[in-house]
Amino acid sequence: MSKSILVVEDQEDNRRILRDLLSSKGYEIIEVTDGLAGVEAAKREKPDLILMDIQLPGIDGYEATRRIKAEPDLAGITIIAVTSYALSGDKQKALEAGCDGYVAKPFSPRQLLAEIEQHLA
Amino acid sequence: MTAPESFTSVSRRLSSAFVGVVTLVLLIFAGLAIIIDSAKVSSELEKRLDTALELSTVSLPTPLWNLDNNVVDDFIAALFLDSAIVYAEVVWGDQLISKKSGENYNYEDSSEFSDPDKFIDQSRDILFEGNKVGTIRLVMSRESVKREFILTIIKITSLTVFIIAAIFLTSLLITRKYIAQPLSKLSESASSIALGNLETPVDKGSNDEIGQLAVHLDQMRRSIKDLFSEVHASKEQIEEYSRTLEQQVDVRTRELAQSVEELEALGEVSQVVGSSLDLGKVLGSIVRHAVLFSEADGGIVFTFDQVRQIFALKTSYGVSQNFEEELRRSRIRKGDNSALGQASTKGEPVQIADLSTLAEYPLACVHQEGYRALLAVPLIHEDELVGGLVVMRKHAGTYPERAVNLLHTFAAQSILAIRNARLFEEIEEKGRQLAQADKHKSEFLANMSHELRTPLNAILGYTELILDEIYGEVPEKIEEVLKRLEKNGRHLLSLINDVLDLSKIEAGRFTLTLGEYSLIELIQTVYTSVDSLAAEKNLSMKMNLPEKLPIGRGDDQRLTQVLLNLVGNAIKFTDQGEVCIEAQVEDDRFLVSVADTGPGISEDDLSTVFREFHQIDGSSTKQKGGTGLGLSIAKKIIEMHGGRIWVTSAIGRGSIFNFSIPMRVENS
Repeated sequence: MSKSILVVEDQEDNRRILRDLLSSKGYEIIEVTDGLAGVEAAKREKPDLILMDIQLPGIDGYEATRRIKAEPDLAGITIIAVTSYALSGDKQKALEAGCDGYVAKPFSPRQLLAEIEQHLA
Repeated sequence: MTAPESFTSVSRRLSSAFVGVVTLVLLIFAGLAIIIDSAKVSSELEKRLDTALELSTVSLPTPLWNLDNNVVDDFIAALFLDSAIVYAEVVWGDQLISKKSGENYNYEDSSEFSDPDKFIDQSRDILFEGNKVGTIRLVMSRESVKREFILTIIKITSLTVFIIAAIFLTSLLITRKYIAQPLSKLSESASSIALGNLETPVDKGSNDEIGQLAVHLDQMRRSIKDLFSEVHASKEQIEEYSRTLEQQVDVRTRELAQSVEELEALGEVSQVVGSSLDLGKVLGSIVRHAVLFSEADGGIVFTFDQVRQIFALKTSYGVSQNFEEELRRSRIRKGDNSALGQASTKGEPVQIADLSTLAEYPLACVHQEGYRALLAVPLIHEDELVGGLVVMRKHAGTYPERAVNLLHTFAAQSILAIRNARLFEEIEEKGRQLAQADKHKSEFLANMSHELRTPLNAILGYTELILDEIYGEVPEKIEEVLKRLEKNGRHLLSLINDVLDLSKIEAGRFTLTLGEYSLIELIQTVYTSVDSLAAEKNLSMKMNLPEKLPIGRGDDQRLTQVLLNLVGNAIKFTDQGEVCIEAQVEDDRFLVSVADTGPGISEDDLSTVFREFHQIDGSSTKQKGGTGLGLSIAKKIIEMHGGRIWVTSAIGRGSIFNFSIPMRVENS
């Protein structure tokens, strides 16, 4: 059974790139465009991994991560934060919020894939 | 002047001296007289005895011859008329014919008279016609003569004493009259002069030396009198000077005290102006001091409203609430007939000594409030009317120049205060604007970072996906173009990042996020990401690392950025040879170096490579691209870690970029 990945990303191009990249590698993709939807989808779909953008409309990626990690049956889901390089300190914040990994934009699809595969191995 | 205790009259002294001399002379004469007399008495006694004997030899022969004893007795008795004869006898052979002793000398034994010192004893034969008829013996006592002599001495002495006394008294009287009394009078005069009585002339008296003395004393008196009047005049003059001087000192002291008070007030005002931006407080202090020093009853500071062209009451001192409200309702304009209106037109202080002499005054309330004398000073700063300072007094009269000058100074302080307050308002406003602008800039920067890179990320992402043949096979020609596209895209991204970093540095928002890191891992990450770049240029990429390095503390992302920049530059500028990354520990510091075999940097350029926007000017480097910001950002990052970055290089011998940072950075 293929692994499912929840992509929480408001940018259409980024979603498309991730979808094209990950589906080509056989992953099942669930896409949502904001933090609250991300939390809902996580509860509903219980994906194997979540790629969480930080700058989101509504609640941001940190808050969404905290809410997901607060649910006992969701706490085991791997969450990789995807954030802007320019904002120094994001990595720290992401890890504090409960993220398991961190990828700074601009991410190379190849690097991202390597990171995902490492967590799902 | 009092007579000394042992005062002795001159006349007595003179008399004593004179009498002394006379006494001496008299005594000498008396002595001589006595000596001569004593000799004379002695010989006279012998002569008398001889005379008595002679008389006997003449008178006695006949009676003796006739044996007439009675006659002999009578004769003998008669001899005793001479008091000096104390014994007489007449004998003839052994037969005593007659004999007689003196009253006090009843001597039977005539040998008693043998003492020649006391008696003279002589005998003589009595002859009658050549026949001895008897012998007479006479004894004379020297005693009586002695007594006479003593008497004579007593007489002489008495006389002498009398004479001396007479002389003494006479001379005493004479000297008293002619010397002592005039001298005494002179003395009195002198004493009177000495006691300060210079008016009474000295009586000349006699026309002698004492008179001369009196004349001279009088001259002296006149001289002293003149001198005294001169001294007195001088003294009065000195006293006058002294009084004048005291008055001047008093005046100066008062002036000085006033100056000191003024200075203190000015100092106080200056301090308030300098230390407070509360305009109300500053102007309050100024107007209070202005009122106190001009000895006015009240004062007001107005500010000039440029828009409405009227004066607005800002602060007051010593005026009633009612009056203040009246004034606030009044419109004082520049150029109206009020003191302030006039002062603001003339640009100088204007005073009204007595309001009640004016036919009319625009501000009735001033008059009603009982103010009579006004002094208004305009506050003008650089030809711009900013306000006015007015003091008011309830009694008429001109304000002294000092008060006017002082108010001038207070006016200057007020201007300063008003200006300060305005400047402060402006600065506050500018500050607010600046803070707003800064916030906008920060927001803009944040947006930039997101907005610029989001599409670029998409471009790079798609490119990479195509190159990875996610969308199917890619023809070789297209693949090559796509790689160029990807390379340029990444370059653009790094440029954008550099510019953003620099903006942050300039805005002071560039901060480190400190955390633990492994330097070996960090270097390996960089090595991995640039390995392909080096391989493309056929450069040998090397690492020279110890097996283990301590865990460091710092901002690993920023350190990665620095190392990527250094290695990236090394690869960019090196066309053949190798690039080597080395790391080691030196005294609690990491020392990292990136060596290349590139063209090297000239000595002139070494000092400028870390400057912003600097790229070594040369045709070869121009072709390499870049903003020239990388090294200056790297330098900033290293310095924020408390480290140091430097380069050693020479043309044709490659370059070595080094940085050293503390292993553990606790705060940036």
